[in-house]
Amino acid sequence: MPSTSSSHRPRKKRKQEPTTSSSNGTVSLDPASRKEKPAFPLVAFFWPARGTSTSQWVLLPCILMTVGLFRWCTGIWPYSGFHKPPMHGDFEAQRHWMEVTTNLPITHWYFHDLQWWGLDYPPLTAYHSWLLGRIGALINPDWFALYLSHGLDDMDLKVFMRASVMVSEYFIYIPAAVICARHMAKTHHINSWESSVALTAILMQPTTILIDHGHFQYNTVMLGFVLASLSSMLAGRRLWSCVFFVGALGFKQMALFYAPAVAAYLAGACIFPRIVVFRFFGIAIVTLASFALLYLPLLLGTLRDTYRSIPLPADVILPPLLSTFPFELSEKAWYYPYLVQLAQSIHRIFPFARGLFEDKVANIWCAVHSSGLHKLNQYSSTSLSRAALGLTLISITPPCAIIFLKPKKRLTPLAFATTAWGFFMCSYQVHEKNVLLPLLPMTLLLASEGGMKAVIRAWVGYANLLGCWTIFPLLARDELRMPYFVFTLLWSYLMGLPPCSLSAYSSTAEGSGLHWTTKIVHLATYAAVLAWHCVEFFVPPPSNKPDLWVVANVCIGAAGFGMCYLWCLWTFLDESGLLIDLGLVESPKAEPGKKKQ
Amino acid sequence: MLQIQHLGYDSWRTIYFQRATVLLSESVLIYALYMYENVSNDARLQLTFYSFVQSSPPSSKKQSHAAAVSILLSPGLLIIDHIHFQYNGFLYGILILSIVLARQESGLLASGVLFAALLCFKHIYLYLAPAYFVYLLRVYCLGPRSIFDIRILNCVRLAAGIGIVAALAFGPFVYYEQIPQLMSRLFPFSRGLCHAYWAPNVWAMYSFTDRVLILFAPYLKLPVDTEAVNSVTRGLVGDTSFAVLPNISPRMTFILTLSAQTPALIKLFLSPTWHTFISTLTLCGYASFLFGWHVHEKAILLVIIPFSLLALKDRRYLGAFRPLAVAGHVSLFPLLFTAMEFPVKVVYTILWLIVMLMVFDRVAPASEKARVFLLDRFSLLYIAVAIPLIAYCSLIHQLVFGAKYEFLPLMFISSYSALGVVGSWVGFLVVFFTS
Repeated sequence: MPSTSSSHRPRKKRKQEPTTSSSNGTVSLDPASRKEKPAFPLVAFFWPARGTSTSQWVLLPCILMTVGLFRWCTGIWPYSGFHKPPMHGDFEAQRHWMEVTTNLPITHWYFHDLQWWGLDYPPLTAYHSWLLGRIGALINPDWFALYLSHGLDDMDLKVFMRASVMVSEYFIYIPAAVICARHMAKTHHINSWESSVALTAILMQPTTILIDHGHFQYNTVMLGFVLASLSSMLAGRRLWSCVFFVGALGFKQMALFYAPAVAAYLAGACIFPRIVVFRFFGIAIVTLASFALLYLPLLLGTLRDTYRSIPLPADVILPPLLSTFPFELSEKAWYYPYLVQLAQSIHRIFPFARGLFEDKVANIWCAVHSSGLHKLNQYSSTSLSRAALGLTLISITPPCAIIFLKPKKRLTPLAFATTAWGFFMCSYQVHEKNVLLPLLPMTLLLASEGGMKAVIRAWVGYANLLGCWTIFPLLARDELRMPYFVFTLLWSYLMGLPPCSLSAYSSTAEGSGLHWTTKIVHLATYAAVLAWHCVEFFVPPPSNKPDLWVVANVCIGAAGFGMCYLWCLWTFLDESGLLIDLGLVESPKAEPGKKKQ
Repeated sequence: MLQIQHLGYDSWRTIYFQRATVLLSESVLIYALYMYENVSNDARLQLTFYSFVQSSPPSSKKQSHAAAVSILLSPGLLIIDHIHFQYNGFLYGILILSIVLARQESGLLASGVLFAALLCFKHIYLYLAPAYFVYLLRVYCLGPRSIFDIRILNCVRLAAGIGIVAALAFGPFVYYEQIPQLMSRLFPFSRGLCHAYWAPNVWAMYSFTDRVLILFAPYLKLPVDTEAVNSVTRGLVGDTSFAVLPNISPRMTFILTLSAQTPALIKLFLSPTWHTFISTLTLCGYASFLFGWHVHEKAILLVIIPFSLLALKDRRYLGAFRPLAVAGHVSLFPLLFTAMEFPVKVVYTILWLIVMLMVFDRVAPASEKARVFLLDRFSLLYIAVAIPLIAYCSLIHQLVFGAKYEFLPLMFISSYSALGVVGSWVGFLVVFFTS
């Protein structure tokens, strides 16, 4: 028997670190008792881990398990196109690509039966589908049997597909987010506890979870590459950021939303404060090499298929891009099959022939058109695409110019967010799911200095909740109403935002720099959203305007997103210090949080 | 929806409705836990009057809060109530409410009546009834100084209260002469000793030993009942017979259960404090779970939940609680068997175990007395074994054997869990009788 005195001692010695009082807005001081208390519920969940020696090795797995549980439970709900013949939905598209890539020679991937969910994503998606298809076929070959498996909705297949989203996310998005949060914390001098809080908030973004695990897509893979690229920038590894960004582009062309910001930052980094030619060449070479690597498997596969003389499908229509070459192409030339593959993939990836917008998306074009303000179908598609291009350029020039002139690491999330908002609002062929792109870098601001204070928290929360609301019609079609309500309310509860709490908007919130106009705009939007839900639930739309509620959703959403764009731009301008340089503003904190209207 | 012919009726609306009723009825549990927290805060002064609780913790608020949260978030309740579908949250809410009421002299009558009502909801709580009987008898019906000082008025009150509850519950059935049918439904002695999935109790270990002995019987020259060889493996609800070891009758399990409960009941009778009462409740739960007839693995909550209220008393209790927390929850895994539910049950349980055991470890005060048993290292080893076991049972077994030997993973899980439950029972007995 051990001696009495020793058996009473707790086995582990606990280091009692001094509680680090932070300025990041996670902690608020109770005015009555002068005691520190959590500023919003998410912080309260982390309260026991604060200031103590709770290791990151415990905290991080707990965070990852929690967010993983939420993701998986979303997956129990139906997916897009479940029991919805004839075309089903995105789930069928992804499954079909696995079927195509595992069963057909590589030269057929971009040509096979384009009417039934033809492959229209860049090659990395195709390779990803091939890998998943191979693994899935090991479990059950029937899932990906050519032609026979169209529209399959086996329960085990669903589990496999959901698990594939999960695994892809945990291999790419989650590590990238963790590392990115670390780099953000390092750049902004934030302690690891607050960084964990921010990380949880980022990983609990309702829109991302609902689209990827509810509706069914692999956006997080692309977003993960973007985050990796961003965190490489934060860490000062520009070449790696090129590689990861090409990865993002190679997975989904949507990543183009960020491309101008990336290009402007990298170009700026080569020129300011002094011109570095080597760096420029390094970036150019690495980018080209990554693109080459991206297409290498496709081209090697083409080499193999040409060698084995496997013909293209009989019903093939050669990509129109080939006829745009200034010189005549010989079908016998050795390079011809490769050119066909490249041209077809680019033709599939960028569908110029489609309309200005798809379905109902909360951007300028759709809002203007469907609200009846100005009908856009009177213009030709060429003039519309020119107008879209022009307006997009106008909207993205300011952020790109700022990041070009001030290529600072800490500004990159804002540059990404502003550019992506510009694209989302103004560009051509935008889908409502694309709102994920501006939301991600904007949500990253939570991990920046003062990111949990009322101003940034309110704006980030506003954008996220509004973004989630604009995809509600999509989710409602997929029977995902219940997860939608759970996740939006959960996020708003965790972040202490309306409709669960008004704490961010109350005048007593410490350091609340929210301008009164901001408060009015935000609260009015939240009220409108709540009212919209009530109306949508109880009142059927008039029979001659069946889309009335969706149109209302689009218009309010577009207005709110426009506000988010302006706020991002203004914050960006303010943070960059350009105004001080130009002598427009004297001191750094002259106009805290004021909004440009 | 409520038409009785519609068995297996499962429209979305029904699911929404039924799940919502579970959630709503769980508010009873929340209320009870809230009461528990408050009472344990306010009662600190009163606690000092009891002779037993000398080690009244310096900040009992934190501990009762942790215990309450752990019960509310218990993976057991999540798995059984919200995925498998039952109303345990509600029932355990009533149980905890009744336990909390028993803490104060004024609440004793209400506590007894509430427990009677609970029995009418679900008779599984009969297993805990001896502890209630002894406690109420000693504290409420007999005088505080001498056991010969019978308080007649209190006895009448209690009897009347319980009688009214029972009359309300069983009256209609008596009126329609349904009692024999009701009894045969409630007490299924015609079913086997072990449930289809073996609950992790002594009989699971017994069956496991029996199975192993079948293999060795030819070498040991033991007589083998050939008819019984295939009966356990079938995994159906039915009469269980053993091939090598002697068969068990319901009467034997009854006697074993009662004799396992008796020492604790005697101790409760001699020192009727609230903490001894909870300890005795826990031990009654243990005894009935370990030795009972046809125990379902869901009954493990009958042990875990009263024990959770005690686990934070000091580190020795926590030491006994730890293997139970692991074993009890792992033993519930076979209840959920679809691939979709697998990650939910495993990840949630692991998350709960990590967070709760870490928190418990932090808030549990050091004990007054020396830790006598060396279960700590074993319990760490035991917990570590859980991981490969779960991996084998849910994944590797299927890959290696396919659909063959389906009973094997179940048998491993229940034997493993039985070891943990029995280990924690022994540990708890030591703690209980040495303090």
